Amino acid sequence: MKQTSETFLENASEALKDAGKAQRRDLLALFTPMVRDAAINNFENFQTLRQHVKKVRQHSLDNLDHYLAQFEQEAVRNGNRVHFARDGDELNSIVLDICQQHSARRIAKGKSMVTEETGLNDFLQRANLDVMETDLGEYIIQQAGETPSHIVGPALHKSAAEIRELFLDKHDLGPRELAETADLVAEARGVLREHFLKAEVGIIGANALIAENGYTMLVTNEGNGDLCANLPRVLIVCTTMDRVLPRAEDASAMLRLLVRSATGQPQTCYTSYYSGPRREQDTDGPLETHIVLLDNKRSDVLASDYHEMLQCIRCGACLNHCPIYASVGGHAYGWVYPGPMGSILTPLLTSLEQSAALPNACTSCGRCAEVCPADIPLPDLLRDLRHQEATENLSSTPWRRGMKMHAWLARHPRLYHALTAIGIPLLHRLGRKRGRFSRLPMADGWTSQRDFPAPQRKTFMQLYKARNKASRRRADDR
Amino acid sequence: MTDSARSHIFAKLRQVSRGAPTTTLERELQAMGRAPGAALPCPDLCAAFLTNVLRNQGSVDCTGNRSETVKVVGQYLYEHYHSHRLVAGNDPRLAAMPWRDAGVLPRFGSVEPGEPVALSFARLAVAETGSIITWTGKANPAANNLLAEHHIVLVDSADLVANTEQAWDRINQDMDKSGRPRGINFIAGPSSTADIEGQLVYGAHGPHSWHVILMGDVPETALQEARSIAGL
Ligand code: SF4
Repeated sequence: MKQTSETFLENASEALKDAGKAQRRDLLALFTPMVRDAAINNFENFQTLRQHVKKVRQHSLDNLDHYLAQFEQEAVRNGNRVHFARDGDELNSIVLDICQQHSARRIAKGKSMVTEETGLNDFLQRANLDVMETDLGEYIIQQAGETPSHIVGPALHKSAAEIRELFLDKHDLGPRELAETADLVAEARGVLREHFLKAEVGIIGANALIAENGYTMLVTNEGNGDLCANLPRVLIVCTTMDRVLPRAEDASAMLRLLVRSATGQPQTCYTSYYSGPRREQDTDGPLETHIVLLDNKRSDVLASDYHEMLQCIRCGACLNHCPIYASVGGHAYGWVYPGPMGSILTPLLTSLEQSAALPNACTSCGRCAEVCPADIPLPDLLRDLRHQEATENLSSTPWRRGMKMHAWLARHPRLYHALTAIGIPLLHRLGRKRGRFSRLPMADGWTSQRDFPAPQRKTFMQLYKARNKASRRRADDR
Repeated sequence: MTDSARSHIFAKLRQVSRGAPTTTLERELQAMGRAPGAALPCPDLCAAFLTNVLRNQGSVDCTGNRSETVKVVGQYLYEHYHSHRLVAGNDPRLAAMPWRDAGVLPRFGSVEPGEPVALSFARLAVAETGSIITWTGKANPAANNLLAEHHIVLVDSADLVANTEQAWDRINQDMDKSGRPRGINFIAGPSSTADIEGQLVYGAHGPHSWHVILMGDVPETALQEARSIAGL
């Protein structure tokens, strides 16, 4: 997928211009945390579950060579062909080879962020394959020629009216109303059902790989992934190696966190475990199954200080709770993964140079870390990336100089207090009348959007000292 | 390509791995214990399961024996489609039902496009999640879960377990005996989507409606209790 993270600030300004979309994002930022909170509050032992799953996943990642080899062995025993891909290009070529070996023309694809990451659709389409996304959200954005704005609800940035126009334009089905959301869903169902029945290859992702028995776990509410996995004669599962868990019950435990954090449900409608091609007595199912395991720098992440990021279960809660994501939306981030998790993953999986703005797209409010079911210290990792930017000279020179000056000053508290003791009363005096500034030198980034409040007369340290002195005096008096 | 990719990836993973022996790994996993599950809505397992099926937007019925079951299926078919036809997998338990007594006309096999009703006999059901479990195979081709508009599922109360961990214990035992099936499907509700403006719509790709019949040793009050807890 083409990356535009470098121009995050411009992308964000552009996104803010569309008032209708901004309003929809505000609504989602209100609604999605509400359903998540209700589901978590209903589950009495959320913290215990979170810590349990974290321990199991840490154990899996600490011994990934063992569990990955075990998974591979069991998956092969189940009749799969297992492939390894170092990067996106390798994954794309493996998948295309398989399709061509079967002279396939039509591909039914389930939702998979990994194949978004590798740009698989474009690659297959360039080879003249008819690839159709079958998750409704993914189908909508594919038809619109857009990219996902959210890892769970990829088309939530579009209004029903826009989708109606899109369907009227793309589906050659004669005059019709499509007045209700249900009509839109029914129309997509009909169009996609035909494709399902004709597709020769199905491609799906996996939410977990189970080492003890070689099954892959797939969760959906629509059932589209299951149609991809069951109807075409060839099935290809594309996923990354960090999805491995030791046992099936570990995958179920992780799912308890995932569904509640992602959609506020207690359970997804379809949770399916697939082991391989159809068995001798079976009357249906694919005749051949492949599993493609992608690395794409994850082994580097595992060896780095950012290894905790591999615990991410792709629930999207950090996006739903992020004030920056809510303001600018997913497209501004310029790659597959947006929001806090994306601001960490994008630099790690592409390069920090290409995405230096993303770790700065953070107010350090900490909501993401609070809600992250994988208990990833997201704000800390973002700060570490910013630190890395500074040491690698990736941020702009004035910014770096400013930060250096601030760091130096912070290490000399006397001077710091002395300077603030001059600056704060001065600002107080200048802004006393209006109580705020609409313009300030060197702060137009702030004042171009909103007023800057005039400070109180004394600095925090002056007030703090005065308070301590007073309480000491009171104690002496007693 | 993939062989060299494999060795490349494993070489990198080995560098950061602890290299602990399998026995240590097994011991460590054991020591972590089991994950906590969701609390059941009430102490009675049957009522808890039915409550969660209702919460998952399924509809429910309870029956005491096989002839009651076929009658209930017949009624459901008639009420919803004025028909007595359905498609069911080649499950010996379904074949042994006295369908004729209720005038139900099952066709045994895989759902074909255009056939509206499928019937499955669940291998297991889980109270914690209100889900039913089927295995792919002759007894329940996957298409029967997915292609029909309406999915009716029979659950024997003896196959009902409290939580997902217990379900896996049973599945693992079964797999030790009869091998691994191609697919294990946990189903918890009719197919749904909220991809358009977050509005929930049923029948996204799979069934619009999902009807679960719990049969066998079910307390008489279970159904009523479930309805009242689910607020229906
Ligand atoms: S970082 Fe945490 S909250 Fe964000 S998507 Fe991953 S698991 Fe969910």
